[in-house]
Amino acid sequence: MNVASQMPVAPAPRAEHREESAKPPFLGFGLGLRAQHYDEILKGNPPIDWFEIISENYMIPGGQPLRILDRIRERYPVVMHGVSLSIASTAPPDFEYLNGLRELARRVEPKWISDHLCWTGVHGKNLHDLLPIPYTREALDHVVNRVQLVQDFLGRALVLENVSTYVRFVNSEMTEWEFLTELSRRSGCWLLFDVNNVYVSAFNHGYDPLTFLEGIPADRVVQFHMAGHSHMGTHIVDTHDHPVCDDVWELYAAALKRFGWVSTIIERDDNIPPLDEILVEVERIREIAHKVLPPRQAG
Amino acid sequence: MSDLARQQSDFQRAILTGEDAILAEIPDSPREKREKLFGVYRYAYSSRLVEAMRNDHKLLYIYLGDEMFDAMGHAYVAASPSQHPNLRWFSGSLPEFLKSSEPYSNYPVLSDLAALERALNDAFDAQEAPVLGLADMAGFAPEAWGGLRFRPHPSARRLDLSTNAAAVWLALTGDEEPPDPVRLDEPGRLLVWRKDVKPVFRELGTEEAMMWDEGASGIPFGVLCSMLATYDDPDGAAARGAGYLHGWVTAELLTGVSRD
Repeated sequence: MNVASQMPVAPAPRAEHREESAKPPFLGFGLGLRAQHYDEILKGNPPIDWFEIISENYMIPGGQPLRILDRIRERYPVVMHGVSLSIASTAPPDFEYLNGLRELARRVEPKWISDHLCWTGVHGKNLHDLLPIPYTREALDHVVNRVQLVQDFLGRALVLENVSTYVRFVNSEMTEWEFLTELSRRSGCWLLFDVNNVYVSAFNHGYDPLTFLEGIPADRVVQFHMAGHSHMGTHIVDTHDHPVCDDVWELYAAALKRFGWVSTIIERDDNIPPLDEILVEVERIREIAHKVLPPRQAG
Repeated sequence: MSDLARQQSDFQRAILTGEDAILAEIPDSPREKREKLFGVYRYAYSSRLVEAMRNDHKLLYIYLGDEMFDAMGHAYVAASPSQHPNLRWFSGSLPEFLKSSEPYSNYPVLSDLAALERALNDAFDAQEAPVLGLADMAGFAPEAWGGLRFRPHPSARRLDLSTNAAAVWLALTGDEEPPDPVRLDEPGRLLVWRKDVKPVFRELGTEEAMMWDEGASGIPFGVLCSMLATYDDPDGAAARGAGYLHGWVTAELLTGVSRD
């Protein structure tokens, strides 16, 4: 028998509205794990509900970072947050990277795995940046397809984050929030709503961040990021190296009213302060949620 | 090629080469010109990579200073665009770049210092493996020793340096004035590894370096001793071999031993 003649000539199309995955649980109020805080966390058991790790920092063969991560995950729930999935890239998916991600997930058993709605490079190069996409039907079809492929590969639903953008494209056919809504509906992925990124993009492109917030379906958002930025006068750069500013705190309160109890972290990537300083911000996200929202129902 | 693929190609080219075709597809914002806004991506690209190099090569950064390190970093970024999704590996070929690119190639201590820092970084997050202890060696009868083969710990790596970069490294680590760079008559033979969680290195003599290199490639202990006998006093070769081996075991440099 000629085996080749029995094979399909093209991959079977994937059902778009896949079986709904279980919604990730509410974890409370946490912090992005950074090496500068390892000692204090291990010695002090600070009042942090959960940690988000940068996946790539632990996609290494061995050594101290992985040993410390093992100890931290014994005490705290952990979520994996990547920066290199490049889900919107038109280059072929990097299966070596995906294998590494899957291997780390086996070790960490994260509550969920997230990355960004962006691309990081094509033609074999990696620009290590969260690059913007045009909000076109073509891009949407492409990203839906990639998300489904990655979800099948990892055996779990992804959580995708809106990025800060500095430019937009004249060929966009929909808004960013319409794109995210359709992406989530069609692929089954969940959404990480970065409150600071919404603020940054809204300022840079001249729209009301509340319009973005109102445009996202409330039941698809499973996480918030809170962070700081650098204001350049005519535009804002998402540097994640400052405390959260007043406008972003206000937007957070509005996001809580729209989305309810959502797992939230303070994300600081640069100019990282001592742990007790950043714990003040973690406490503030908790306090605002308790002030703005009705008490949370058990379960 | 799809529109999206073409657009991503143009966007990337604009960042890497400065070619501006993509700007025709980007509007000005209400407050700023598109050139300036796109410039955020251009600036972020090389500055992020140079920042990663500073983190990976902290002592080379101190040695060269802000201005020279950044100029060198931008030259490396232009010559070796990142091809790996993890920034951890971006500066992996920096020693080779410094060895082969002017003006840096005129100062071989730079390449050596980068190679030493890279080896220490690689040892830091190298694969985990059991550490061979003295008790593991005690079970072998004296007549079995000739056939023992040793497996180095995965964090262990050898480095031959043509300059006094190790002394420069030690001075910079101790916050002292580094010695003037000099080319060595004989290469400095270093062994780099991770002891518990800390990357460390030490210098080896010619004889010990030979024994390590040959032992790591699978030559059994008995043959290694015969090889040592050609370097120095033949009668003391077995004792010298046993001494080196003892040092490697106590330094956590070996992960296993097997018998012919």
